[in-house]
Amino acid sequence: MTVAKLAAAPRTAVAPEPTGPVLSCAGLVKRFAQRTAVDGIGFQVDAGEIYGLLGPNGAGKTTTIKMVCGLLDADAGVVTIGGRPLAELSVRALVGYVPQDIALYPDLTARENLAFLGRLYGLRAGLLDERIAEALELTGLSDRDKDRVEAYSGGMKRRLNIAAGLLHHPKLLVLDEPTVGVDPQSRHAILERVQALGDSGMAVVYTTHYMEEADRVCDRVGIIDRGRLIAEGTKRQLVSRLGEKDRIDLVASGDLQALAASMRGVTGVESAAAAADRVHVVAADGRSVLPDLVEAAERSGATLTSVEVSEADLESVFLNLTGTALRE
Amino acid sequence: MRGTLAVARTSLLRVTKDRRALFFLIVLPIAVILIIGATVRGFSTIRVGVVDLGAGSAGRSLTVAMQRAGDLDVRHYATISAATTAVSRGEVATAVVLPAGMDAALRSGQAVDVAIFADRSNTTQQAAAAAVGSVVAKVGARVQAASFASSQAFGTYEADLRTAAALQQTNTQSRVVSRVVDSNSQTLPQGFSYSAPTMLVLFVFLNALASGAVIIETRRLGIYERMAAAPVRRSTIVLGETLAYFTVALGQAALIVLIGAVVFGVSWGNPVAATSLVLLWALVGAGAGVLSGTLFRTPEQASAIGPPVGIALAMLGGCMWPLSIESSVMRQLGHLTPQAWAVDAWTDLLSRGGTLASIAPKLGVLAAFAVGLLALSMTRLRKVVAQR
Repeated sequence: MTVAKLAAAPRTAVAPEPTGPVLSCAGLVKRFAQRTAVDGIGFQVDAGEIYGLLGPNGAGKTTTIKMVCGLLDADAGVVTIGGRPLAELSVRALVGYVPQDIALYPDLTARENLAFLGRLYGLRAGLLDERIAEALELTGLSDRDKDRVEAYSGGMKRRLNIAAGLLHHPKLLVLDEPTVGVDPQSRHAILERVQALGDSGMAVVYTTHYMEEADRVCDRVGIIDRGRLIAEGTKRQLVSRLGEKDRIDLVASGDLQALAASMRGVTGVESAAAAADRVHVVAADGRSVLPDLVEAAERSGATLTSVEVSEADLESVFLNLTGTALRE
Repeated sequence: MRGTLAVARTSLLRVTKDRRALFFLIVLPIAVILIIGATVRGFSTIRVGVVDLGAGSAGRSLTVAMQRAGDLDVRHYATISAATTAVSRGEVATAVVLPAGMDAALRSGQAVDVAIFADRSNTTQQAAAAAVGSVVAKVGARVQAASFASSQAFGTYEADLRTAAALQQTNTQSRVVSRVVDSNSQTLPQGFSYSAPTMLVLFVFLNALASGAVIIETRRLGIYERMAAAPVRRSTIVLGETLAYFTVALGQAALIVLIGAVVFGVSWGNPVAATSLVLLWALVGAGAGVLSGTLFRTPEQASAIGPPVGIALAMLGGCMWPLSIESSVMRQLGHLTPQAWAVDAWTDLLSRGGTLASIAPKLGVLAAFAVGLLALSMTRLRKVVAQR
């Protein structure tokens, strides 16, 4: 498996072995004019751990990881990578950054793009060629390495975008919503590779607003809302905060915001929020409140299409903590 | 340094892969040099305005004599006012007024005043007046000979005038033929020696402005952000981009010099001075190109606005026609552009056998333009790289 090869490959010379957590950040604050985008966020990520930053669009995930990667100066707070402050330029060689955009030259080939970025990280000659071949193999693009990126499919571009972040064998890989806009098959492939990278000993920070992705790949999750880290832990720890509660998904048509508001008034319902074509409800006992929820739907004029009761998950946690759905 | 070279190398790689860029960098300038070099002739011709107030056959003879003088281009005006206005506008270098009754006066042996309008402070107009004066003097000598012959009963005035004119044509006379050697020529030589240096100045700057689109595209793709996440300083990225622009500008200029010399036979003058001028002009181009990339918001804006701005500056700066034929106001305005100083320096090198010392003041002005543009553009690019 190519991941094993990646883990066994020699590290970049400038990157010393870290001790303790690979990433440690505390009290991060970032303000843009009058708006506070990040308000006191702090967390740690160990080697081999995949840490998910879960939150809706605009919650402050991207701002947080830009401070982690040194792309934004924090107004307050500290970031250390491998115990060293981020202010040291060479520390950046320990971090692999995969931006949300496909930050690659479309008119250059995959190999040319990787060669350029590898040189920026100090890779030269034979080692550069070796790392390019390795990254292309890891992302399944070896046979298309001489094609221009503009000829790639969306999924291939995403994979190459990740490959570019792995060239220099970082201790910490930061992925900013790496599956946005890709088809289910490519998404599955990307998630598999991220899991493999974590298994190889790399520390990974993974931002997403897809609950199912955080649920699948992340060892720990930090939930961000309005610039604050409102909860953190493993999925089990987070869900257990809700106790023995159920999640109820009601697919409906009509004024879903009004429907969610009316459902919040039902006895036994802890939270309810509209998202896309449905209303998510968290309740202590899903089956007992179900008749009242149906009655509330009839009262509000909404038409129910389907109802599903399941165990609470990360989305339920987010809903319970914020009163809103992840994707509204 | 390695980071700078990595950025520059990749930007240059992109240029070599862009067929459209290669067309504008190589094919178009050479084509324009060929066309303009083959067609541009006669900046040494002096335009003369003639006002005939009823001078008769003597006036017509003088006009024909001026038309036959190779360096004079005669244009007719109905009134003295129209002619003097044309002089003040620079449409003609001088104006000649042929008075009423000129022919009759000459026949009767009276002196006739032929007024020539020119500004004493304008050397071009003074030169034009002198050229017209020599034609008038030549015709005057012919008239004097005819008057003398007819007064001595050697035939009629008309017949003697024709005889005098024929004698003037056939008699071998001493002629002074001037050649340009360290002269005070205000224009470049004609043909390819005119088109190659002016198009070098025009295209290096114009292409640099248009290629600002590359910086805008890199910013929009998020690649500057990705570069900034690497262990390189922002100044490294800025230097790398600027080095790429400088290399492209220098390469284009060098190619025009080479093709100009080998294919079109252009003599570029003192090699050290010419090399210094090309290097400085490439720096000016690099500064303008990077600045363009930080001023416009979209690649389309840079591609659409850059070329017209480059052409307008080239017109003002004397790339399309010599500033010496312009009014003093336009000459001063033109010298607000770096193009005018570059063309002046080329004129010194190609027309007057200039040296590094003689073009040093012009190189100094170009260096100031280069430093100003590079400082401004690199400061702005640093902000662009830092934008999140």
